[in-house]
Amino acid sequence: MRESFSIWWFAGILLLAYGVVIFSAGVWELSHPLLNPPVLNNLHAPIWWGAMLAVAGLGYTIGFRPRQTVNKRRK
Amino acid sequence: MHLTAFAVSTQLARLDWIDVLVIAIYFAIVVFIGFYLRGSSNTSEEFFMAGREMTAWIAGLSFVSANLGSLELMGWAGSAYQYGILAMHWYWIGAIPAMLFLGIVMMPFYYISKTHSVPGYLKLRYGDGARALSAVSFAFMTILMSGINMYSMAIVMKVVLGWDLNFSIWVSSITVAVYVALGGLKSAIYNEVLQFILIWTGALLVPILGLIEVGGWSNLRTQIATNLGRSDYVHLWSTLGHFSDNPMGVNWFGIVFGLGFVVSFGYWTTDFLVVQRVLSADSIRSARMAPIIGAAFKMAVPFIVILPGLLALAVLPFHLVAQDVAVQTGQHSFNEVLPLMLVRYCGPGLLGMGVTALIAGFMSGMAGNVSAFSTVWTYDLYGAFINKKATDKHYVSMGRWSTLIGVLISVGTAYLVQHAASIMDYVQQLFSFFIAPLFGTVILGMLWKRATKEAGFWGLLAGTVTSIGLWLWVRQDPSALRYVAMSPDAKDMAENIYRAFWAWDVCVLVTVVVSYMTKPRPVAELEGLVYGASVLPKEHDDHWYQRPIVWAGIVAVIFIFLNIVFW
Repeated sequence: MRESFSIWWFAGILLLAYGVVIFSAGVWELSHPLLNPPVLNNLHAPIWWGAMLAVAGLGYTIGFRPRQTVNKRRK
Repeated sequence: MHLTAFAVSTQLARLDWIDVLVIAIYFAIVVFIGFYLRGSSNTSEEFFMAGREMTAWIAGLSFVSANLGSLELMGWAGSAYQYGILAMHWYWIGAIPAMLFLGIVMMPFYYISKTHSVPGYLKLRYGDGARALSAVSFAFMTILMSGINMYSMAIVMKVVLGWDLNFSIWVSSITVAVYVALGGLKSAIYNEVLQFILIWTGALLVPILGLIEVGGWSNLRTQIATNLGRSDYVHLWSTLGHFSDNPMGVNWFGIVFGLGFVVSFGYWTTDFLVVQRVLSADSIRSARMAPIIGAAFKMAVPFIVILPGLLALAVLPFHLVAQDVAVQTGQHSFNEVLPLMLVRYCGPGLLGMGVTALIAGFMSGMAGNVSAFSTVWTYDLYGAFINKKATDKHYVSMGRWSTLIGVLISVGTAYLVQHAASIMDYVQQLFSFFIAPLFGTVILGMLWKRATKEAGFWGLLAGTVTSIGLWLWVRQDPSALRYVAMSPDAKDMAENIYRAFWAWDVCVLVTVVVSYMTKPRPVAELEGLVYGASVLPKEHDDHWYQRPIVWAGIVAVIFIFLNIVFW
């Protein structure tokens, strides 16, 4: 089983985790406005950026999941 | 001057718990990878060369990422604020042609010689003298640079987030030590790929939101011109006719031949820190494609480094100053422009990602330094001159220990810099002393069969001494800059570029002269080392579009197009 995890799977996990965290923070901010909002806060960057990261991360996590990558796309 | 006087600046931002979570996730994954790969780094080939089984994409991304240290990210964003779009030259003409040349011309020789390092190639081509000289200078400077990178990151974290210097230095360096000592080069490379992705995802929002705020590139140019009262900050080539026509105090000859040829080719083709990543490739084709893939990504890096510096010129309500002025007045320095822009656009969560990007940049740079140091120390110094007949297991053990000791020396350097700021400038200069002449030695060795063992050593030594001598001359007599950089209007950047140019010239001249005065090696001994004396393995691509030369051509066309667009 050693090294059956692809680097791209790790990248997918990381992006997925960040996407979920950032997206959730963005949604939370809708009902709990920030005291010191950053410039262009009205664009709700955490929501769309978090969603994009989560989708990309999900794609890589599924596409390079360990069982499928053994002996094929090991790295 | 004591750099901790930076503390007079007020803390810019406070991290939310969600930012801390984002940073913690990053550290957890990085350390997990180190533990996960520890069992696959048991032989020296695995520990120092990552088993030579990296794909072109992994080696290529790692190749670029190892260069994206904290000094690189924050320093060049600051340079963009200070000098305008001219800073872009260090990413385009100062990188792309050299990276393509490495992939197309030089990589086959590095790869088929089966060398473990650049000093190792010098040993095969020129013998022990040139190897020892380059290995000692590389090991020494690499580890000092690592410490300076560490200090640069820690000082910015202190200014921006109010983090304690000791906390930043020790947590980051221990993490790097753990994952590199456990998993060797493979762990460093895996993490560099992740760090590259993180740097992009963490920093990309700044230019996107910045361009939205100013209303696009055209408005940005107009606003910079209005704010500064001059238009030379947004032109890449049209202001390089004379040293006095641009904010950097440099001319086109220096940029093309000094930076674009000597400095760039020296760094990207002979600095083992980056070349080691490509040597880990799983085939000669991957080794050739890796720098080409790296070049494509390198070309895009200015979007997250240079553009934020330019945007700051247009949108920041205050003016940034030089580091020494910032220390005295409590203002923010050029080097803080990237964190300042992150704080401007990023709220909770996104700010954590931005800070993680900066930490990732630092860690990838440091991991690159210590893994390269460990390899050169173990193979080219310890194994070559101190203990030649140890077992493979012993060398792996030495690699792990030298990684830890390298990190400790880096930490020591970081504290040394804290108490003597001028050392930072000196060490950065010192690094440049060795790179330019080394390129002269390596390229003649690869392309010219007549270059001899004695010539390799004396050429490298003469080039290095020339570089140090020119530097000392200008320190003793600043007016000497008019001779070194060929103009009384030249500034610091021009001095660095021209000094490298002369050092390379002297190295090549001495190597050629000494070669004709000494006995050449038989051609049969140069098999696999020199152009014209080697049969390169045939590469079989199923389709024309899989050939490295095709992709190098595409990257070259985009490179030329971009230079014309931003002329």
